[in-house]
Amino acid sequence: MSEFKCKDPVALNLWYAISALEEVRQGQIVRSMLLEEPIAYTRDDSGQVRCWAGGDKDSRALPVQERYGYFWTTLGKPTSEIFPIPEHAEADRRNIHAATVGVNVSAPRMVENFLDMGHFPYVHTDILGAEPHTEVKEYFVEVSKERDEILATNCLFWQPMAAAASDGGADVEYVYRVPHPFCSVLYKSSPLDETRMDVIAIFIQPYNQEQVRVHMMLCLLDEENTDTQIRLFQQTIFGQDKPILENQHPKRLPLDPRAETPIRADKSAIAYRRWLSDKGITYGVIPSAA
Amino acid sequence: MTTDLQRNWYPIASSTDLPKRHVYQAQLLGREFAVWRADDGYVNVWENRCLHRGVRLSIGINDGRELKCQYHGWRYANRTAGCTYIPAHPADAPARTICNNTYPAQEAYGLVWAGEEATGDVPALDGFDDLTALRPIPLIAPMNMVAEALLEYKWDESCKGARNDEGSVTVTASDGTAVRVFVQPLDSNHSVMRGIYNRAVSEDDRVALLKRHSWLMQELRDRIEAQAATQDAPEPYHPVIAKVSEDLVDIPAISEDGRTADLRVTVTRKEMTAESIVSLRMEPIKGTLPTFQPGAHIDVHLQNGLVRQYSLTNGPGETDHFTIGVKREPDSRGGSVSIHDNLQQGDNLAISAPRNNFPLRRDSVHTIFVAGGIGVTPLIAMARALNAQGLSFEFHYFVQSDDHVAFKREIGEFEGALSIHTGLSPDATGAKLAEILSSPDNSRHVYICGPGPMLEATREIASEKGWSDDAVHFEYFKNTTELDDSSSFDIDLARSAMTLNVPAGKSILDVLRENGINMSSSCEQGACGTCRCGVIEGEVAHQDVYLSDTEKAEGKSIMTCVSRANSDRLILDI
Amino acid sequence: MLKLYDYELSGNCYKLRLMMSFLGLEHTTEAVDFYPGNQHKSEAFRQINPLGQLPVIDDDGLVLRDAQAILVYLASKYDTSGKWYPCDDPAMLGQISQWLAFADGITATASAARLHDALFYTHIDVDAARSGAHRLFRILDEHLFFAEEIGQTWICPGDHPTIADIACFPYIMLAEEGGVSRMDYPAIRRWCDRFKRIPGFKVMSGVFPAGPAADQSAA
Repeated sequence: MSEFKCKDPVALNLWYAISALEEVRQGQIVRSMLLEEPIAYTRDDSGQVRCWAGGDKDSRALPVQERYGYFWTTLGKPTSEIFPIPEHAEADRRNIHAATVGVNVSAPRMVENFLDMGHFPYVHTDILGAEPHTEVKEYFVEVSKERDEILATNCLFWQPMAAAASDGGADVEYVYRVPHPFCSVLYKSSPLDETRMDVIAIFIQPYNQEQVRVHMMLCLLDEENTDTQIRLFQQTIFGQDKPILENQHPKRLPLDPRAETPIRADKSAIAYRRWLSDKGITYGVIPSAA
Repeated sequence: MTTDLQRNWYPIASSTDLPKRHVYQAQLLGREFAVWRADDGYVNVWENRCLHRGVRLSIGINDGRELKCQYHGWRYANRTAGCTYIPAHPADAPARTICNNTYPAQEAYGLVWAGEEATGDVPALDGFDDLTALRPIPLIAPMNMVAEALLEYKWDESCKGARNDEGSVTVTASDGTAVRVFVQPLDSNHSVMRGIYNRAVSEDDRVALLKRHSWLMQELRDRIEAQAATQDAPEPYHPVIAKVSEDLVDIPAISEDGRTADLRVTVTRKEMTAESIVSLRMEPIKGTLPTFQPGAHIDVHLQNGLVRQYSLTNGPGETDHFTIGVKREPDSRGGSVSIHDNLQQGDNLAISAPRNNFPLRRDSVHTIFVAGGIGVTPLIAMARALNAQGLSFEFHYFVQSDDHVAFKREIGEFEGALSIHTGLSPDATGAKLAEILSSPDNSRHVYICGPGPMLEATREIASEKGWSDDAVHFEYFKNTTELDDSSSFDIDLARSAMTLNVPAGKSILDVLRENGINMSSSCEQGACGTCRCGVIEGEVAHQDVYLSDTEKAEGKSIMTCVSRANSDRLILDI
Repeated sequence: MLKLYDYELSGNCYKLRLMMSFLGLEHTTEAVDFYPGNQHKSEAFRQINPLGQLPVIDDDGLVLRDAQAILVYLASKYDTSGKWYPCDDPAMLGQISQWLAFADGITATASAARLHDALFYTHIDVDAARSGAHRLFRILDEHLFFAEEIGQTWICPGDHPTIADIACFPYIMLAEEGGVSRMDYPAIRRWCDRFKRIPGFKVMSGVFPAGPAADQSAA
């Protein structure tokens, strides 16, 4: 693997979402970056997505899988399949590509922000939270050995306007999954159907250790709002997180437990940092000194 | 390793860069600072990252007293840099060791000076008794290249430059006018030229002078940058980020000091604030005071050997002194009398660091304070915190007469939220309390502090009206329960795998201490909550007034100074 | 009724949202799916603005494009105080126009760098965009420093902000998303704080509010 700038075998052997399928067009070659390696992609005459490493046509072809409305590739030899999001296949849901946005931060900082509720009243003021309703109530976190993912459940937070389809304040329930070191999926109670949850996922494509491209995907039960309204709502939220993320120092996630100050509300983040440590991830993090 | 660079003082801002309510982003040797002036004038130079998640504090909010992080609303106090509030856990008092990294700072010559590890005074500037700070000019070039080039700085043909010992450059013209320029190294290839001119100038001439030097220094900047661009940029500095203290790795952190008095203060003001209530202003003899949170108390070690607890009345950001109120209690064992009669302005006292067993939630939609007599003190600090944040509250103060109203100036700030109830009989007080507590609501909280009977009455009325135990918070200033220490029982210490016997006549706390187990305590009479300990198994005979009825019924906590076991054995979470 | 064709993350649209908020103007908003929908390049939208750009307003049939032009229009028509754009003061109009053009320069540099970093406008020479932004910020910082020296709070003279302040503000605040730091521009940073305290100020995604101003009576 020494041919790669990224020296982290775990990161090299992961699948990464690279682009929404709807943004891969025939006759148009798009150049991008994955783990500091230039890559490019296009849709060929037969309609297949093609992706290759390096800039030129004699470069190495990369494997392509289409999943959740995006195409995924890898530089290495993945030992597992792309993680499941069963809701994506449910017939009555709307699957929407909300955005692909570049952020000047490491992938793990991005994931941690996605798992975090305590910032809602301060960063998403009057949308996902509002003072004085600032409490992060106790919730459960487990690391599933069998599925190799982190699961945070029973996460409740008071929200004035939880989704594009909501029209008042309520305690909203969240479930968070981290099934991939640089991807996360959240479920939140649907304002329309008490028994089911909306799904929002981020798939992060690390350009390098401190710059990422984030793909945001939704599987919603919303029947009222247009795709445009839903996308703009998510982009507004994302746009509020972005300057926070870009003002974090250091940009890489420190895994040393004494690097920052966790509180009980950060249980899921603590589990995530330990999980990354246990996996031996070194990309986008500052590993704990042995 | 400390280098000379780290030991030096450098100007990092002009004084005029720090208007009130602004947070200035600065950088020195690769390390960023958040620099802010509190309303009391104090200049804070902190590392530019929140200890929680590393977000720049320079994007936060300076409310004049505290700096609030933009990410999760953590609040850090003026001067001490200690965290005073974590909104995600409104019922908890943050560990007082959560304290930002601060750096030495001084304000002199119209500049704000700082250094990683600077000590002593900023450079003395001979011949700059009158001066004008020039407009600083940033540039992309290494510090030494800038200093070299400054030797050629000229506003007049006669100008001659010379390097000073500490690295700055003085350029002098034949008419005696001089400019001394300090080069602030933001990073290895990024600097700021900060000049001062050795004359005071009239308002009329000021702008012309500043413009002339701004223009000349920008010309010089362009030349230096052109030169720097031809060279490889040096490797940026890599400042080390200090780790947080070990005890913060797992929250909550319990402070481990017992009944210590590690602070020395001078009583700088002693005055009667009301009939038989004296207020004491205490300032540190050396260094700074630690961070306090509203509701906190300190132990005061009196000259006659007694130790007494008093709540702080300070508002947020009032971190240069502590203020307490002491009521003369002629019947007591002599603590308050000693303060009233013997303590003088100028005397030194030993006090403990503040402890907060009466934390204030700030996620309440509306907060009701009920104070009786001297019980007003912790509630003053709480209401001042809410007032500063613009949160909704009402403040009821029950007193015998107008003469008994203490801290008039402080409570005057509450304006319309303040109601003083004077001279009510116990029945009339009950009726008033029933009115105040008439509409229970899950999103409101009540804080009560006052004499035992009034506290009992308030809790009873609140309960009758349907307030939940969780919403009613109280602090007794003494425990009037008749204590029974006749039982004997065993305690198992779960974490240290020890079994100890508590004989009649001794408290759990006594036995723990005798066996070398360090346990914090303060009032040692079941009122303050400091010696609280978790109970894993066994039935507790509660004799304290700190825990709520719900907490007592749950039996998961015990006040080790007074409470005992109803069973043969208690398993404690120690 | 006044209608704004709007995209939340656009600093140019934000200029108009600010102006309308400062003036308390009632209006409707039509959200345009700028990204990923590319709706501003659609045929339907190009019939409204052949340049295929946001923002656009429609005021009872008068359709206008270009943020700076619309600021001029809204202030002239709806600002009863006459302070945001003093139509009868030629010296002010000249200065305001000068800074409106300057704001276009900020858009062409700082905003371009942001589009490069956030939305992958890879055809942009991002190094040139960033150094262009710094060149402009140096000029504005010096201007604002000397404005403060003579007691002037805003970009143009007078005791009241003008549309020049509105035109410059958004992409200065958003510049860091394009890798353009404001570290070297303390006078600009103080002006940003003052701007955020103008009554009626509102934030957009990427811009945080300022805290309350110091109580002057207590100062």
